[in-house]
Amino acid sequence: MPVLRAHGIEASLPHGMEGRIFVRPTVGAETPYPVAHFATFPLPDDTGDFGGGAVNLMGVDDLFVVLFEYGPESAGTRLFARRGMPRTLRASDFKPYLLRRGLGGQAGTQWFFTEAGRPFTLYAVLGSHARRHALVPRVNALLAGLAVSPAPVPVEQGAAPWN
Amino acid sequence: MVALAVVLTVVVLLLGLLVAGLLRSHADILKALHDLGAGVGDPAAPGPGGVPHHDVRLLATARGATGRDGAPGLVAMGPPLPPERDTASAPAVAGVTPTGDALAVAVSGHDHLTLLAFLSSGCATCAAFWQAFEDPRRTGLPADVRLVVVTKGPEMEIPGEVRARARPGLAVVMSTEAWGDYEVPGSPFFVLVDGTTGRRVGEGVAHRFEQVAELVRRARVDARSFETAVRDGSGRSDDPDDPDGLDGLDGRHGGVGLDGPRREAANDQVLAAAGILPGDPSLYPRSLADVFPPAGPPGAARGTGDGG
Repeated sequence: MPVLRAHGIEASLPHGMEGRIFVRPTVGAETPYPVAHFATFPLPDDTGDFGGGAVNLMGVDDLFVVLFEYGPESAGTRLFARRGMPRTLRASDFKPYLLRRGLGGQAGTQWFFTEAGRPFTLYAVLGSHARRHALVPRVNALLAGLAVSPAPVPVEQGAAPWN
Repeated sequence: MVALAVVLTVVVLLLGLLVAGLLRSHADILKALHDLGAGVGDPAAPGPGGVPHHDVRLLATARGATGRDGAPGLVAMGPPLPPERDTASAPAVAGVTPTGDALAVAVSGHDHLTLLAFLSSGCATCAAFWQAFEDPRRTGLPADVRLVVVTKGPEMEIPGEVRARARPGLAVVMSTEAWGDYEVPGSPFFVLVDGTTGRRVGEGVAHRFEQVAELVRRARVDARSFETAVRDGSGRSDDPDDPDGLDGLDGRHGGVGLDGPRREAANDQVLAAAGILPGDPSLYPRSLADVFPPAGPPGAARGTGDGG
């Protein structure tokens, strides 16, 4: 079982899944935060944060899952009041109208939460709403292998590390 | 005269000892080669300590120590492969990218071919491949072949060096574990994996990427030939404009990449579909003419029995 580990996120991938955990390059004054993509199909290099360029490639038996971190200023807000990542999703949690990009036949779900003091959203897409009962256990198998550790304390620039 | 006879006798005795020593040394070398599986006889027969020869590798340790079985210089390299693994299996490749992100590539469970390019930042031969990968259009790979570069992990490679050689958008995984999983002997080394079967369909060394592209092309043709031969026993494409089955290959097939008894069974299936059953005279050629019959009318001998 391949294990991915970067930016305070660890994922044990079930068989047949691939993924990446990355931080986009900084553009201007923005501060990018980690994003994790997981899929049962080859992920294109230029996949958007929430699956743009990838979900249109999904087959009916495919999954696409995003773990997206927000800035620390979002922690403690009502949107992220839920404590801990959902680990067991139900088939009824997936709706065709919850998709960020409404592609026929697909279904999605999205959850906002705080884990290890870090605000996240979890977004999952099923290749087929009709096959959600078969596909959701595979999503849950992935979620069972996800772990988030507290954000690393940033090192102040300019100070000698031995002082 | 007597002194001369004594001297000659002594010389003959010394030469006899020398010859005996050389024969003994030769025998020791042959025995060592045999224990390594390179000698005459059955290489699958258990070697020292009951370890099959093909599981035993020579490890030249600095101390010249004995192996676990007590045989001089012989040790088993690494743990035994798990039962689900063999020389054609293709596990997922997981590691980090040169920028510190994490990346895992699943090479099975889909209908794509994946070309794993095991490169390093330091080898001179690899430089031409890094250069070829700068422009995806220059690789000459078919559109459905996914290229993934695999270097050793950050503990054995310098990420900055790898980052400097990898163009943006090129999938690069730094994973020493993957080199072990795919038994990579050195860089550059290439492995082609069929996502449908999750098996390796080709692997080898090349000095130019054109050679790799040729390897990929052959593997795809082999896959198509096998599929066609299994389907109708002819080994020919259905497309009259593409009698050799070179166009529109989709990489799906049922037999390429099989190993051991499954490969033998697949070959038997192809032969049976072509009407060649056990005992068929064509299986026991007696002359070159039986293997390469005289040319008949154009096309009479094309496309039969080449798919196995």
